Amino acid sequence: MNEQEQVVASSADGFTPLGRVVATERKPNTPHEFHFWTALESPVGIGTIVRVDGAHPIGGQIPHIYGIVTEGFSYTDLASPLHDVMGHDGSPANTSFASVDRAEIRLYTAAVLRQVPEEPLQPVPMGSVYLAQTEDVNIALRMDGYLKDGAHTGIPVGVYRAGGTQAPIYLDADFLIGPEAAHLNITGVSGLATKTSAVEWLLSSIFAHFPESKGSIAAVCFNVKGPDLCFLDHAGTLDDADRALYDAMRVPAEPFRDVHYYAPYTARGMSLNTLRSNEALVHNVTPLTWGLNEVLQYAEVLLNRDDVDAKADALIDFINQNVVGQPFNDPLLSRPHTVRSLADLEDWFKDVLQGLERKDDQSWRTHHVATIRKVRNRLSNISTRCAGLVTDSGVVSDLPFGEFRDRGLYVVDVANLEEDAQDLIFARLVSKLREHLERRDLGVKHVVVFVDELNKYAPADAPDTYVRKMLLDIAERGRYLGLVLFSAQQFRSQVHRRVVGNSGTALYGRMDVDELATPGYSILSPAVKTKLATLDKGQLMIRHPHFTQPIFVRFPRPAVMRGRDGAELFPAAEDVSLEVAVFRSLRALDPSLSLNAVTDVIAIHDDKDVLRARNLTLQERPADVLGFFASKLRKTVPGGATRAPSVAALRAIPDDDPYAF
Amino acid sequence: MSAYGGVSGDPPVVRDVVLVEDETVRAHAVDGAPIVQFTAFLDGTQTVHVRGHERGAPIMQGTVAAVIRERRERRLVTWPHRLPIVRHAYYAPLLYVRERANHERNGWPIVDTSYTKKGTLVPRHPAALRAEALERIGHARERAERELADAWCEMAANAADGGAGVLFVDGGISGSVTTATSSCVVGVIKSHQTLYSLGDGLPTIMSLECGERSSVFRVPHKERTPVVSWYLRLRNPHGHDAMFGLVRVEVADHGDYAARANDVSRWILAEVAPLSLPDGRWDKMVYGIRDCEQFLRAIAS
Repeated sequence: MNEQEQVVASSADGFTPLGRVVATERKPNTPHEFHFWTALESPVGIGTIVRVDGAHPIGGQIPHIYGIVTEGFSYTDLASPLHDVMGHDGSPANTSFASVDRAEIRLYTAAVLRQVPEEPLQPVPMGSVYLAQTEDVNIALRMDGYLKDGAHTGIPVGVYRAGGTQAPIYLDADFLIGPEAAHLNITGVSGLATKTSAVEWLLSSIFAHFPESKGSIAAVCFNVKGPDLCFLDHAGTLDDADRALYDAMRVPAEPFRDVHYYAPYTARGMSLNTLRSNEALVHNVTPLTWGLNEVLQYAEVLLNRDDVDAKADALIDFINQNVVGQPFNDPLLSRPHTVRSLADLEDWFKDVLQGLERKDDQSWRTHHVATIRKVRNRLSNISTRCAGLVTDSGVVSDLPFGEFRDRGLYVVDVANLEEDAQDLIFARLVSKLREHLERRDLGVKHVVVFVDELNKYAPADAPDTYVRKMLLDIAERGRYLGLVLFSAQQFRSQVHRRVVGNSGTALYGRMDVDELATPGYSILSPAVKTKLATLDKGQLMIRHPHFTQPIFVRFPRPAVMRGRDGAELFPAAEDVSLEVAVFRSLRALDPSLSLNAVTDVIAIHDDKDVLRARNLTLQERPADVLGFFASKLRKTVPGGATRAPSVAALRAIPDDDPYAF
Repeated sequence: MSAYGGVSGDPPVVRDVVLVEDETVRAHAVDGAPIVQFTAFLDGTQTVHVRGHERGAPIMQGTVAAVIRERRERRLVTWPHRLPIVRHAYYAPLLYVRERANHERNGWPIVDTSYTKKGTLVPRHPAALRAEALERIGHARERAERELADAWCEMAANAADGGAGVLFVDGGISGSVTTATSSCVVGVIKSHQTLYSLGDGLPTIMSLECGERSSVFRVPHKERTPVVSWYLRLRNPHGHDAMFGLVRVEVADHGDYAARANDVSRWILAEVAPLSLPDGRWDKMVYGIRDCEQFLRAIAS
């Protein structure tokens, strides 16, 4: 061990001081900040946690001050740079002739994390500075309050490393999942495996450490881009360093055990609109299809402000309350209607409009014909705009509300959908989660909802939308229900302040320097900003209610297959014929089915009819899959020769009376 | 400080010397590139404050300090074999000061300045008493420096490998027999209140160019051990006064003068960087000595 290594090793043992507190009139210490110098070889850096032992007791107790390094300075006894130029005759090449290096200082500024005792709160005294050991880190970050035996609510989020210290950092479940505080927001530049990886890792950690006393928990993740979350039930590649981190934080290095995927169909309706469409993986992929009832409740999501004026809103309410799902008749209409699907609704609209035309009237039940036409146009258009998700037939295949499983992970793949469909899915699922959590009948007590690209759903400077209002509502009131929002975005400054402001915990990966220049980061020192702008993969800065200053940690790669790897290993299924698509769907229910049998049943039925029958079968999950599927196909008239109807002959015209008078 | 770097109140003088190299004083270009050879640097400081007067007699507070700073991996650290010396004392003419107890409160010794070291009564004139105190403080600093230099020589003599390196001493080395005869100590004098020359040699010394040295001469001392010495120009003097960058070097008289002077000059020239700015004596002061002064200022102020 050379001299420098000895210095580092001895400084890292927690007993040998690595620095001394200094204060001058120009740079005094305060109760929240202090300065200290170290040897040049010291392992101290930005983010290092240190302990100061005061020299004099206060109230009979030696004060211990815990701080985190936020700024560093280095300078020599050089009074002016010009002196160095003169000393080397103006040539940098001459520096090697200098026989000795100038006296140099490493001066650090640290922000106080905690003072013990906490009263009286005084400026940091002069004293020796030590590298914080694991116990010091626990005290400094107030983790000792929630890592106690019998009341352990710690959720490991990463490992703090400095010198020889390696301390797991825990978030308090009461402040991450609720009810004290809740929600988590993560920000960082794209492409550095920070945001998605961090959330995957954190969900693993939550599932492993969420205290039993706090009840059950599940997660609903929206996969909004590419194959990011499509292979969470498959093991990924980990190295020894990752495994060591998993061991240190006592989290099993394994993929999620109970994962369920949901995806709408493609516009053609043949196959599911997801990159997890490989035949080997479809066993836990469930179609997500909704009908009129499900859509009409959230019409506001799909209709912009110009569409839904007060008149249109009134008509939609009328339809919702009086038309949908019940027999409806009116003297204007040609027949009674029972509207159960978008197709039924379209028939109803046609009948109403034809009735108005017949009467040559401009309004019906106070609704003007123009409003009726507009609402018809917008609602009928939904099945086109959300093709694959919203069915004309009204078949519903949904998340298992009421039967959510503890530690279950429910992934809804909306990556390939149009924006309208994404919004509709998000709005309805979150609303349903909220409703069930309010009624305490979801199946679990807490649900984490992960939404990426939050700047798209809750932008800071865009017109108010239903989705944004809902996100605000979750952020502000979700914690009382057990509905927790884990959100991510590239630019935190572009997200609505109340959404990120209500996130009790914030994670930061590598940041864009432009983003760091925005006012939201002004509380960070230039050195911390520099560190944020250069964070490595797997490094995070954490803000948590118990931590008075941001902390830097390292987390392992998630133990799940990366989306890119999964997409290569399990390429998405190519678009197939109707028969093959139905066969593959039904085979998930009955593996004994053959393609020929399905083809025979489909026979000459048209595509819409076949897909409707398939959806009904998947929804019902009958014992006799093929029989049920066949029974749901519309009956066709058997083919055969037809005879032309007899036509009465025309009366013959008398030859002498061509005008038939 | 005088224009020529002197610090004492003595009048500037030129003293004759005995040349041990050359017949007359000559300029020799130092042969060979500068080479880093010094292992450590020794310097001392003194600070004086007038604490008060009692019936016109000055009561002075003096602090002397000395340190050896050793070079390790291009950085200077305190020599661990002998801690830095810091000594405080009061200097007062006890003949005229009655309330001695008042000045012994903090346990510092009191040095009587009523008499010179030779036993002569110092005139009651406050300036004379203050001068005596200053002289005593100066002697205390020299003693502290000498102790450290002797300790270095002792360690060098006992070193198994034949030496602990060469010590750069700020000032002369003739005050101690040990250092004045040791080959591991080099003294470098920056002040030139007393100039040493022979005959018409002074203009030659004053005209030395950067990297040139004078002929070697023996410095005669009545009370001190004779050493050999030469002048060396550290920096280009053009545009400056004649003493700019001029130092006088003292080494033990071990013969082989020309070769020794050339070698030691190369060692000293290796110390011209980094500059000792912003110290006003930067043209003559090597960085190791400035480091000593900075260190002593931190611990003895």
